[in-house]
Amino acid sequence: MVVDRREAALPTAPPAVGAAGAEDTAAGAPVAQASLWKDAWYRYVRNKGAVAAACVFIIMILYCLFIPGFWKIPGIWTSIKDYDPNQVNFSEAYAGFSADHPFSTDKFGRDLFARTAVGGQISIAIGFAATFFILVIGVVYGAIAGFIGGRLDNAMMRFLDALYGLPYLPFAIITLAIIGEQNFISMTFALTIASWFTAARIVRGQIITLKENDYVRAAKAVGARWYRILVRHLLPNTLGVLIIAVFLELPGVVLGEAFLSFIGLGINPPTASWGSMAQDGRAAYVLHPEVLFIPCLAIATLVLCANFIADGLRDALDPRTRET
Amino acid sequence: MTTFIIRRVVWTIPVILLVILMTFLLMREIGGNPFRRTERNVPAEIQRNLERQFHLDKPWYVQYAYYVKGVFTFDLGPSMVLRNRSVTDIVKDGFPKSLKLGLLAYLLAIAIGVPLGILAALKPNSLFDYAAMFFSSVGFALPSFFVATLLIYYFSVKFGLTPTSGWPITFWSFDSRVILPAVALSLFPMAYFARLVRGAMLETMQQDYVRTAKAKGLRYRRVVGLHVLRNSLIPAVTATAPLLGLIVTGTFVIEFIFGIPGIGRYFINSVSNRDFSVVMGITVLTSIIIVIANLFVDIMYGVLDPRTREAR
Repeated sequence: MVVDRREAALPTAPPAVGAAGAEDTAAGAPVAQASLWKDAWYRYVRNKGAVAAACVFIIMILYCLFIPGFWKIPGIWTSIKDYDPNQVNFSEAYAGFSADHPFSTDKFGRDLFARTAVGGQISIAIGFAATFFILVIGVVYGAIAGFIGGRLDNAMMRFLDALYGLPYLPFAIITLAIIGEQNFISMTFALTIASWFTAARIVRGQIITLKENDYVRAAKAVGARWYRILVRHLLPNTLGVLIIAVFLELPGVVLGEAFLSFIGLGINPPTASWGSMAQDGRAAYVLHPEVLFIPCLAIATLVLCANFIADGLRDALDPRTRET
Repeated sequence: MTTFIIRRVVWTIPVILLVILMTFLLMREIGGNPFRRTERNVPAEIQRNLERQFHLDKPWYVQYAYYVKGVFTFDLGPSMVLRNRSVTDIVKDGFPKSLKLGLLAYLLAIAIGVPLGILAALKPNSLFDYAAMFFSSVGFALPSFFVATLLIYYFSVKFGLTPTSGWPITFWSFDSRVILPAVALSLFPMAYFARLVRGAMLETMQQDYVRTAKAKGLRYRRVVGLHVLRNSLIPAVTATAPLLGLIVTGTFVIEFIFGIPGIGRYFINSVSNRDFSVVMGITVLTSIIIVIANLFVDIMYGVLDPRTREAR
């Protein structure tokens, strides 16, 4: 029926079944949680802005993945030649918008339609990679601090306070300078190092709140070990917060990458990222503003979508904090 | 109250020391004795003397102690690249310009963002509310370098209203060159304030005491002015702290684009020149500013909302 189909469309229907879940057949949790995610799904779908944002987001990712080089959809893209994003062709520099070059070309005559897609791959990949590591560090740090509590928690949070004092961009720049080269890995690393604090705080806060729940006390009462409480009861319940956090962190990282590239500390040319394309475009924006505007609008659209998705997810997954 | 403030101030000292330590260790990691043989060919004896003068022959913790002393006595050491200039000179030169830019942007953000949030919250789901929140979303999403370039493109290049770059020399002088950088930098915090104030207002308006105030028959104006505004501006105050970090980060890019000789531009130039004493000095300085701003906000919060004193 309708309900079943929607449930099938959910990518992560039973979220709580982690590593420890397999042998644990007695727990009734999966049933309850499937309905929680179904509820969340319904609530999300009702939010038109969030759905639209998710659609645009997916379209952008598909565009970045499939436009450059490989794929052509017969009958739709046939008018567009399959340009190599790094192919230099001076006779077509700043060619303007045309059927051949829907996004115009840059000063080397490189096709911006293909180049924006390739740049997007790098920007989005750095964004997701850094977000992933931010969350991993955040979960580990936050879970340790929140779960153990007491003095250790206090010390760890004070340390985090100190790190909060470090300004984000200089910190990332220094990290890049230490590594000494600017590539995908070093950019991801620098952005992760400079911005994992918030995630750690969020996870810690969540763990501390969850710890007070009756089911945790019940689990303790029946003699569950600490790691079982942590892995089985606490961490799965932070999943909702983490999913929201993905879309909260992503914009910051994408913008951070763009800033670094824009001031010339990004990935080395000719590899494109949206930030480095914006930097290229800045040299000639008076006569050819489109070369600057296209990557910037791409960044803005992605960030806007991520923000809307985060809002929608927060309303869907955590109804208590919903704004009226 | 006094103990709260004292405790909070005392806590700041280890935090600052830790921040300096981290920056210091990071800088050591980048490496480099500025008087490496590879960079300048000097006789061994002079080399030794130079190292002694700058304590480079001591172990790292002694160097750290000297650096901490330097920070607190406003002596950040010499620049490694610019001859005859100390880091303190550079900071003295650049910092007031950055501070002015940051403050202007901050004031502008408050002056527009807070009323926007209040008005949006007073009529939730109205056309104005949607417009304000749309503006806020866009303000979040647009990279500041794009906003800056757009502003230059339209206001300087197309309409010729303001110069494209430059900055008044002294702190208290203002001219049209100030406008565009401040506006470009203020957009993000403005969006932030608008959203935050709106959210806080809406939450406060659902509180019981607001309902009571309304039920008592108080005038709308008084309910909003006395009960809602006072209680919802506190979150806005706390939001100031992370914003400062954002503004500092923002100044780096904005200074880069508008050619403002503030610390951000020195910082970027120094990174590419590998002038690490300047990089370190500026990082430490901005960190200390952020830490002190956090302290200030915490104390403000403690004053405004006594419940938070115990928690901290």
